[in-house]
Amino acid sequence: MDLPHRAELIATPFFPQTEYRCGPAALATALGAVGMVAAPTTLADEVFLPARGGSLQTEMLAGARRHGAVATLIPGTLEAVLREVAAGHAVIVLQNLGLSFAPLWHYAVVVGYDIGASELVMRSGTTQRAVMPLRTFEHTWARSGFWAFAALPPGELPVTAQAAAVVEAAVGFERSATPAQALRVYESAAKRWPDDLTLAIGLGNAAYAIGDKRRAADVFRTAAERHDSGAAWVNLATVLMELGQKNDATAAARRALADPQWAPRASEWLARPDVLH
Amino acid sequence: MARTRRLIAFFVAACVSFAGLVQSAGATGLISAEQVAASVGLRTAADRRAQVLVTLERADVSAALAERGVSLDEAKARVAALTDAEATQLATEIDKAPAGASELIGTVVIVLVILLFTDILGYTHIFPFIHPAR
Repeated sequence: MDLPHRAELIATPFFPQTEYRCGPAALATALGAVGMVAAPTTLADEVFLPARGGSLQTEMLAGARRHGAVATLIPGTLEAVLREVAAGHAVIVLQNLGLSFAPLWHYAVVVGYDIGASELVMRSGTTQRAVMPLRTFEHTWARSGFWAFAALPPGELPVTAQAAAVVEAAVGFERSATPAQALRVYESAAKRWPDDLTLAIGLGNAAYAIGDKRRAADVFRTAAERHDSGAAWVNLATVLMELGQKNDATAAARRALADPQWAPRASEWLARPDVLH
Repeated sequence: MARTRRLIAFFVAACVSFAGLVQSAGATGLISAEQVAASVGLRTAADRRAQVLVTLERADVSAALAERGVSLDEAKARVAALTDAEATQLATEIDKAPAGASELIGTVVIVLVILLFTDILGYTHIFPFIHPAR
């Protein structure tokens, strides 16, 4: 897909930072961009460390999740950032505005760019529309290890994200999400990466959690056959058992015995009293 | 009396049925995506997370956290929101802490509050940004 020469998400709200609180302000801005209202003061309690005067990267991700957004790291390339913006996704970036030996860490939200002018537009600090040369941005961003993420509603994924980052994001999101929300995330992810075992397991679990056992069984069966994964076979066995298909369930569990990683789990399953009798 | 007894019976029934719901949800026996993800890489992520939580519970550690403006509940909530991979990383940092009494506390707190994953946080208020000369 060709990248448009310029794009700007002008509707992105702006929460100017107070004192050192660029983390909560950036998070509130990114969440607001996808219609999730979270006040910077609330976020500050969750991601801000008073004694240190800053927010940890991991807590920025966790903070987004706790407000119902899926926080996914995107590849550390300028192209990825621009592509996300072109796709309508604001990107939270960590910059080091100082020098490597005298760091001045700063979170900002990229909301636009202009390739012709070689500029990036950000909601940053106390500036609603901070314009920075692409080159300067790259230098300040490089000193943070090119760290960037998008916080999006369940069901929407960053266009540039890789499977491993999405697995990590989905698993993290699931911890503090309802089954229905987790289902949306796994549906979107498994649609893009139908061959990913972890995503299939997540999808099956989410379907099960909302009470759709037949769908869970279908998902586990497909994954089990495709990957010959013991985990998928054991899960299939459990769901089939609950659906009253004891013979098929037992057969599925036996298939898991061939997978050394999950064989103990399969043996345990086959020793269940309701299976034996 | 009968009414009281009926009321008690109602509450007990409600509690029992609620407990039943909770149990059936907890005991599904399905292997989670997180476990599968962990099986690809590291194991026993739950143990590692438990280890971090136990460390938080230590009186000296929680006092040191409180001193830095983080309550125990808030610290636990933060740990709960970490993924297994992140919690494992944090536990590894705790493992590396030297074992000497006050040094241990200092290191654990530094790891928990400050260094979390070595690369950190935003503390800037020098803004607007001054372009570097180049």
